[in-house]
Amino acid sequence: MSARVRKLVMFPVAFAFVAAAWEGYKAIGPANGGRLLGMRLLPRTNSRTMPHVWEMVSRLGRPEVRGGKQTILSVVTAATWYSFRVAFTAFVIGAVLGVAVAVLMARFRLVERGLMPYLIMSQTVPIIVLGPLIIGLMAYGSRDLVSKTWIAATLLGVFLAFFPVAVATLRGLQSTPPASMELMDSLASPWWRTLSKLRFPAAVPFIAPSLRIAGASAVVGVVVAEISLGIRAGVGRLILSYGQEATSDPPKLYTAVFGAAALGLVMALVVAVIDRQMMRRHPPEGV
Amino acid sequence: MTIIAARTRDSLAIVLPPVIFGVVFVALWQAWVEIEDVQPYVIPKPTAILQSLFDDPNLVTKACVVTGVNALVGLILGSILGFVGSVLTNRFRLVADLVNPLAVTVAAVPAVVIVGVLNNMYALDSQIGRRLMVSIAVFFIVFVQVTKGLRHNNPTQMELMQSYAASPRQVLAKVRVPNTMPFLFTAIRTAAPIAVIIALVSEYFGGTQDGLGTKISGSLNGSNKALGFAYVVGGSIVGLLFFAGSSLLEYLVVPWQRRRRPG
Amino acid sequence: MDTAVPNPAVVVSGVRKVFNRGATNQVDALIDIDFTVQRGEFVSLIGPSGCGKSTLLRLIADLIEPTDGTLVVNGKPAHQARLDQDYGIASQHSGLFDWRTVERNIELPLELKGWDKSRRRARSAEMLALVKLSEFATHMPWQLSGGMQQRVAIARALAAHAELLLMDEPFGALDEMTREHMQAELLRICSETGTTVVFVTHSIPEAVYLADRVVVMSPRPGRITAMVDVGLGRDRSELTREATEFFDRVTEVREALRGTHVGDPIMGVDDR
Repeated sequence: MSARVRKLVMFPVAFAFVAAAWEGYKAIGPANGGRLLGMRLLPRTNSRTMPHVWEMVSRLGRPEVRGGKQTILSVVTAATWYSFRVAFTAFVIGAVLGVAVAVLMARFRLVERGLMPYLIMSQTVPIIVLGPLIIGLMAYGSRDLVSKTWIAATLLGVFLAFFPVAVATLRGLQSTPPASMELMDSLASPWWRTLSKLRFPAAVPFIAPSLRIAGASAVVGVVVAEISLGIRAGVGRLILSYGQEATSDPPKLYTAVFGAAALGLVMALVVAVIDRQMMRRHPPEGV
Repeated sequence: MTIIAARTRDSLAIVLPPVIFGVVFVALWQAWVEIEDVQPYVIPKPTAILQSLFDDPNLVTKACVVTGVNALVGLILGSILGFVGSVLTNRFRLVADLVNPLAVTVAAVPAVVIVGVLNNMYALDSQIGRRLMVSIAVFFIVFVQVTKGLRHNNPTQMELMQSYAASPRQVLAKVRVPNTMPFLFTAIRTAAPIAVIIALVSEYFGGTQDGLGTKISGSLNGSNKALGFAYVVGGSIVGLLFFAGSSLLEYLVVPWQRRRRPG
Repeated sequence: MDTAVPNPAVVVSGVRKVFNRGATNQVDALIDIDFTVQRGEFVSLIGPSGCGKSTLLRLIADLIEPTDGTLVVNGKPAHQARLDQDYGIASQHSGLFDWRTVERNIELPLELKGWDKSRRRARSAEMLALVKLSEFATHMPWQLSGGMQQRVAIARALAAHAELLLMDEPFGALDEMTREHMQAELLRICSETGTTVVFVTHSIPEAVYLADRVVVMSPRPGRITAMVDVGLGRDRSELTREATEFFDRVTEVREALRGTHVGDPIMGVDDR
């Protein structure tokens, strides 16, 4: 079995282990929670909080609402697909903007010096909470804009995807080998040529991994925007509304969680393909 | 003298641009709100934010402490579990192979959504669900890095230990585990801001209403935008503290990394 | 070691080493290796890349096992010699532990032998004095220069009272000036301690300057093609490097190497 096949096979195996652990704990754990080390650490195992795995899966095949026509699977799939389009749009815009701003910063030292500390700070502070601010600004710009709620979610996704790409691109542009820079200088290459022929290709190994973070961030941004801003359509809304039905229909919430997980995994897969294409001409990673 | 003058000029060249950018940005913001007469429920003035920050500093501090403690407990717990788990299972490749896909999944999917599920498992007024959510995210980051560190052996050192006829246990204690330290502390530095973000966002999914996340979304969605921004400032400070703290820890514990870190 | 009959430090007889035996990428690293290192002798192993000189050193160290033949170190099988820590080893990468102070690096083999702390500290102080680094005892390795790190590695190799020192291009990463200084230091340490040395290098002047005897090897399959007795005496100094006899020996080794089949030198065997 090649290493790659083994890696892929391990995904379902690992998930099966998690499911088994879930069922195992449900079988032996206390129904109403318990104490461990003097704290109420042991989770409850009653069917309201920990439904059986097969209940979650079979719930997918049944109608969303009693007597309804649509199965929950089709509802969740539609919502996930909707969120994916929003998140992917956000990812692309955010990544392009990130690269553009980084190139600008690399070109103008003053811009770099002025903005770099803020870019680094953006990695450490929870900028995700600024969602409502974006809505506020949109509302100020135009009333119509707000009614298109997906734009708000996209903007938050763009916002979150932008920063890691900008930081990584700039770092990549800064770490061009000095010897290669000297070579280009000795050839009297103008800066845009040096950029397109040397500095940008040399920055690709920095940019590619940042895209993975950007993809995941875009997904988180969109889902959290859907939840915190109460945006209709999209898998975030399903999580919120199914969560409210947890008492009467516990497995329902998990179907939405599956949708959110699928959203993230599909995004990761798409980004991995992009990543691989970008890294084709670069030597494989050392360690 | 000239050297000192040059040094001063150099450090000014580093410090001044961001300060100027920041001041200009805030000034433009203030001017825009004043001139355009933007309503405070849309965007508050920077001065108003400062005002509400200092009007009742306790309000913001309290929320910061709630969320900060959640993040810290989760960070510590997740780091310990990730480190111990990795060291204990490093002999069994299968364990790492099983953890890796889960780590990829947790990093790729909006895992915070399961905080609702976790909250369901505990009492309504409990912070355990959120802390557990933070620990889960931190656990995977630390586990993957430490496992990398355990396998990242310096061939010269391994050969040396072989020449001493050292037992596998001695090799683990004297070479492999110390070799993981840079990886462990890099992982903690990576995980620290993520811990704050998760602690904050997990408050959107129900549970007690006393943390920064609920306060921010409550205020920003409501009309008191200035207070909302004051909480945002508080959250940024918590995030920066976590980053600074974890960086300092790395600096102190693995000093030889200072010169080697690639970026 | 007060045995009546002085037994040699290393006896290699009929040794052969094949890597990836039976596979398509099988490599005959060494064949027909027979040689002896006397106690107190300094032997250099020299040859082009891929001649198996590092492999031979690792066989003596029992870090790998021979396909055929026997290796006797310090009068016992190489394996037992390793278990008894009869030799010390040093290579191009000093392999110092970043997280240990200089003295604690030197004490590492002693810790593994179970020495108590005060005895270890006394011994590391002694070794630091030997390599003239006493004032750096509590420094961290990464605060030292490359040459100083290499001296710490030698001190560590000798700490457990090893009478045999196995060295694999230990000065390979140093600049020429530092390198010559380290060579002189190594000779001084050896004459003070009476240590036997097997020294792998690909520098001809280094091999000649250091050794009593130079073993010349050739690649594919790796074997010994010549033994050159240096005969410059034990008392060597910077003047030795300018002596006519020194240049004569260098020429002799160079010609012995030229006679070897230097095929394509890129195909080295990395058996780490």
